[in-house]
Amino acid sequence: MLDFAIYCLTIIAVWSVLGLSLNIQFGLTGLVNFGQVLPFGLGAYAAALAAQAGLPWPAGAALGLVVAVAVSLLVLLPARRLSQDYWALITLGAGELFRLTALNAPSLGGADGLTVPRFADPHLALGAALALMAVAWLMSHRIAHSPFGRLLKVLREDEVLAATLGRNPVAYQRTVSIIAWAMAAAGGVLYAHIVGYVSPSSFTVTETFIVWTALILGGPGNNLGVVVGAAAVQLLSVSSRFVASWIDLPADVLANGRLALFGLVLVLMFLFRPQGLVPEKKEVRDAQRR
Amino acid sequence: MLSVDDVSLSFGGFQALRAVSLVAMPASITGIIGPNGSGKSTLLNVVAGVYVPDSGAVTLNGRPLAYGRPEQVAAAGIGRTFQVPRLAHRLTVFQNMMAGERDQAGEGVFNLFLRPAAVSSREAEIAGRAEAMLKRLGLAHKANDYAGSLSGGQQKLLTMGMLLMSDPAVLLLDEPAAGVNPVLIEQQAALLHELKAEGRIVMLIEHNMEMIANVCDRVFVLDAGELIAAGTPAEIRADERVVRSYLGMPA
Repeated sequence: MLDFAIYCLTIIAVWSVLGLSLNIQFGLTGLVNFGQVLPFGLGAYAAALAAQAGLPWPAGAALGLVVAVAVSLLVLLPARRLSQDYWALITLGAGELFRLTALNAPSLGGADGLTVPRFADPHLALGAALALMAVAWLMSHRIAHSPFGRLLKVLREDEVLAATLGRNPVAYQRTVSIIAWAMAAAGGVLYAHIVGYVSPSSFTVTETFIVWTALILGGPGNNLGVVVGAAAVQLLSVSSRFVASWIDLPADVLANGRLALFGLVLVLMFLFRPQGLVPEKKEVRDAQRR
Repeated sequence: MLSVDDVSLSFGGFQALRAVSLVAMPASITGIIGPNGSGKSTLLNVVAGVYVPDSGAVTLNGRPLAYGRPEQVAAAGIGRTFQVPRLAHRLTVFQNMMAGERDQAGEGVFNLFLRPAAVSSREAEIAGRAEAMLKRLGLAHKANDYAGSLSGGQQKLLTMGMLLMSDPAVLLLDEPAAGVNPVLIEQQAALLHELKAEGRIVMLIEHNMEMIANVCDRVFVLDAGELIAAGTPAEIRADERVVRSYLGMPA
């Protein structure tokens, strides 16, 4: 039971990193990334490929980060001249492109995927996941409460306003993408070493959808909200397995039922609490503090 | 000196501006009037770098502007407001004001993580200026309110304040008095006179003829994309063509 709890916490921490990354993009900047699974998958596959080549894990981590940043810039190229609605389509397409490539390229393991050396000790895995989450949290926090974050929020509210104030929106969106995609890729590297294998089926649109559910449920623009959302979604996901075995539900019905449940959560949140369970805080200036 | 030289612009078959030329001097307030669809906003958008003119040139102190690159035009010292004020509604009034300042050390990610001291000292400096600007505009008591909760007139004042944070040489104002209560219009007029005294170039589009008469040194009249008259407010009021196309006969 303790092992199971440790595993749950580890997974929640990894998905929190993914959520925090999406929060920088959407919660702060308003970028609708429907391919959030792409940098995650790139990180995981980089870890796997480096391990296959006999390289130590830091090499895989470095490769994952570099590739994710390079791909983010590539995906940004067509997006920079388009409005943000197209951003969603481009990122969605890019994510699928990657998954289908991994599925069909023998060197990437095809449908079977690749094996990755696992953490020997689950406690170590938990420690690494919590450490990465802490780094992601601190970075997000620093960005959100800084002049940079303030301008990202201006961009989120009104891109034309940012340009009117003499700032180039594309330059800021690029910086945000680089940071957020590197963060998600780091999560992917860790995920690969926790689970012990990577395969295309782990990086589908569904995974992106789950991160979005966590963000919308928790509260876009609020770090604590993101972690609460990630925890709620993962715990719901895990506990549904127990419920299913208890009432004897077939696995495929369970998987689809879970997705339907997440969809319902999204609809209810949008209808009744669009600011999330833990809403973004108003940044109040305290005149006394000076 | 802001100079619009022989600027033409058409959208498809529609000629929005026909060889428009005008000059606005520092320490002066220039009004642009004309009926709806006469090209006033189009002209403002050309100067602000939103549209690229088909022909002609816009120069500030002899230097041509970066047509089609509003962020570069803004950085060159040309600030503009919109008819419907553009603000970050879910940020506070104070945060909006802070964002108005350019050249912020804390907007660079490396500074953020590697030079926190430089970031916070610049931030304190900007906060001081933002506070002073809010006082000047009479919005200090609203500092911690969401910008979206301000009245229309207050929002217009705030957008002007945001532009002033980066000390622009030129201010382009799109109908600052429209939908604003008379008390705030008076406050705006006083502010415009101050900006003029500071040596700035102020150019405004306005339908409120009282405002035009109160603040403008020179008025240009557009009709169907063409400049049909120029002069002091009094001269414009007496111009027969302007009366016929825009102002209408006195009752």
